[in-house]
Amino acid sequence: MAESSISKPRKLRNQTHRLSYERRKALYGYGFLALWLVGTILFFLIPLGKSLCYCFMDNNSLKPDVGGMREAWLSISDFGWLANFRYVFVQDPYYKQHLISVLKDTLLTTPLILIFSLFIAVILNQKFKGRGFARAVFFLPVIIATGPVYNIINGDIAATGADSGAQFSTLFETDIVDELLEFLGVMNISDNLSSVINTVTTNIFGLVWNSGIQILIFLAALQNIPPSAKEAASMEGATAWEYFWKITLPYVSPMILANFIYTIIDAFTAADNSVMARVLSKQLDWDYAYAAAMVWSYFLIVILALAITVGIINRYIFYEVD
Amino acid sequence: MNTKQNPKAPEVIETPTPPAAAESGIPESAIPDLRTPHTVGNGMSKKEAMQIRMQNMSRKEIFYLRKKRLVENIWPVFRFLILFGLGFVILTPLIFMVSYGFRSASDMNDPTIIWIPRHVSLKVMKETIQAMGLLRSPLNRGNPLVNTILINLGCSVFQVLSCAVTGYGFARFQFKGKKLLFGIVILMILVPVQVISIPLYMTFKNFFFGTVNLIDSYAVMYLPAMTANGIRAGLMIFIFRQFFRGLPKELEDAAYLDGCGPLGTFLRVMAPNAASAFLTVFLFSIVWYWNDFYTSSVFFSNTKTMALVLKNLDAAINIEIFKNANANVSAREKIVWLEAGCLISITPMLILYACLQKHFTEGIERSGLVG
Repeated sequence: MAESSISKPRKLRNQTHRLSYERRKALYGYGFLALWLVGTILFFLIPLGKSLCYCFMDNNSLKPDVGGMREAWLSISDFGWLANFRYVFVQDPYYKQHLISVLKDTLLTTPLILIFSLFIAVILNQKFKGRGFARAVFFLPVIIATGPVYNIINGDIAATGADSGAQFSTLFETDIVDELLEFLGVMNISDNLSSVINTVTTNIFGLVWNSGIQILIFLAALQNIPPSAKEAASMEGATAWEYFWKITLPYVSPMILANFIYTIIDAFTAADNSVMARVLSKQLDWDYAYAAAMVWSYFLIVILALAITVGIINRYIFYEVD
Repeated sequence: MNTKQNPKAPEVIETPTPPAAAESGIPESAIPDLRTPHTVGNGMSKKEAMQIRMQNMSRKEIFYLRKKRLVENIWPVFRFLILFGLGFVILTPLIFMVSYGFRSASDMNDPTIIWIPRHVSLKVMKETIQAMGLLRSPLNRGNPLVNTILINLGCSVFQVLSCAVTGYGFARFQFKGKKLLFGIVILMILVPVQVISIPLYMTFKNFFFGTVNLIDSYAVMYLPAMTANGIRAGLMIFIFRQFFRGLPKELEDAAYLDGCGPLGTFLRVMAPNAASAFLTVFLFSIVWYWNDFYTSSVFFSNTKTMALVLKNLDAAINIEIFKNANANVSAREKIVWLEAGCLISITPMLILYACLQKHFTEGIERSGLVG
């Protein structure tokens, strides 16, 4: 009797103590997140929900009057609630065009950016004189390319100017690739092919400007390749070419996925892509509902495309299991 | 082909000695084993030694070695060409900025001038500084440079701190709904600002149940930054989470055993270890806030920042320099002032970059974002 009455409470106390410790740690976890949580609800989730609501509201009711927005919902009957999307996809003269061109451009240039940045990262990872300077130059776009400076040096200044500013782009430009392809006779095989080549070549030097972060991430991944792998490869007499395909690429592949996602998100959310520009111009016209519908459909399409491609790429990635 | 032959090649290189030993013809069994490597290495130059080695190789192996040497000699040249060419592509706009910024506008109409201006003058620079309003008094948020620096430093500091705390919470604590909450962080990375900008404008305009109008005050930048919701905050939380997850758990356990609470552990043990991650994220935060014009263009109307001023420099030039809002100036001439504006606005970032370049480029490697 006496023994059991002693052991029982002890066991119980033990349990409650451990439980409360875990719960206390969980509470501390919430405590660490509290600040962010408040901010996210206020400055992210509520606005996000509201903008989703705007998609299904009457466009005219959202135009700010003297008394502010009225915020009237669209009628539910007869697919009336899709009116904004109908407007965006059927009536708006530019949206669909811009959407297709942005999707096409991104899908074409993303692989190029990845290949290019991996190539540069491999070079910058080798030992040579002046490597520090070369790295500094190649990461320079990280500082500049996100700002309005890029618009100006890109010659994108005609918005208010008298005549087209595109000719005053100070980015390095040349027709040499086009001319080479024309010389080889590739250009005139079919119109579709030519237009594909054109999107790639006109922007070929833009790639350099858009791959700063990607180079950085690849470089970091390259430096994480264990020296033992390199040693083994050189003992076996692997050439640089084989080393790249059999050692570098598998080790870097998780970062290829990360870079892929980063590149796509970066391209899609850039304020200077044409869909975003269209959304902005709609917002400036006080067409909030249309703008919301545009941006949400765009966002969903992008996420869908991203999910599909990531799913495909994920199957070819080598994850090192320790 | 290559893979079959390669493993052989080094083996042969390592054991070139037996025939050389036989030629030296010393009968004692113990000595030649010691001497032969010396006679090969010492008596001859490297080239001769190589030639002797080559005698015993098959043609395939010789071909392999030759190819390797050729590649080793040629590759640096190619590498230099590639890096030089692409480096030039990157630096071109910067060179043009300097070249345009310090020439007089009339030089633009001279087709013989491309790089080096004929009339070097500071006039354009001075006019641009004037037009951008960098000389105005900082009272009443009139000076864009002061505005930008205040917003930039304050927000970056707040944002780094709040994101670090949040990232630590995600990295080291187990609680219900963690996955869901982290899903929100991912959503923050994915959703472009443009999606939420209008409702956010409304939120700020009628802040605290419509009692305070925050539009056009620093608070629109400070408040989100303080609560880890500023520009690209999702990415920063993610970086910090990855970083803290990479730190050894023993560090924490030791602190707990010594009687340190979670907050004390974070402040005294984890944060000092994360100094490099803090610096990297801080630097990127500064760059992003400096370059941001979308957020500030939505929330600011009278408060100007450098990025905003640069974005509207075209109109400002018309008013300040040509004294006519509708001045019909050709882009060819105007580009001079625009480029000067670019130069002015990126100079602080360039200086920062030049001083802290190592932390920019090596911080990410150490921050544990990779792996």
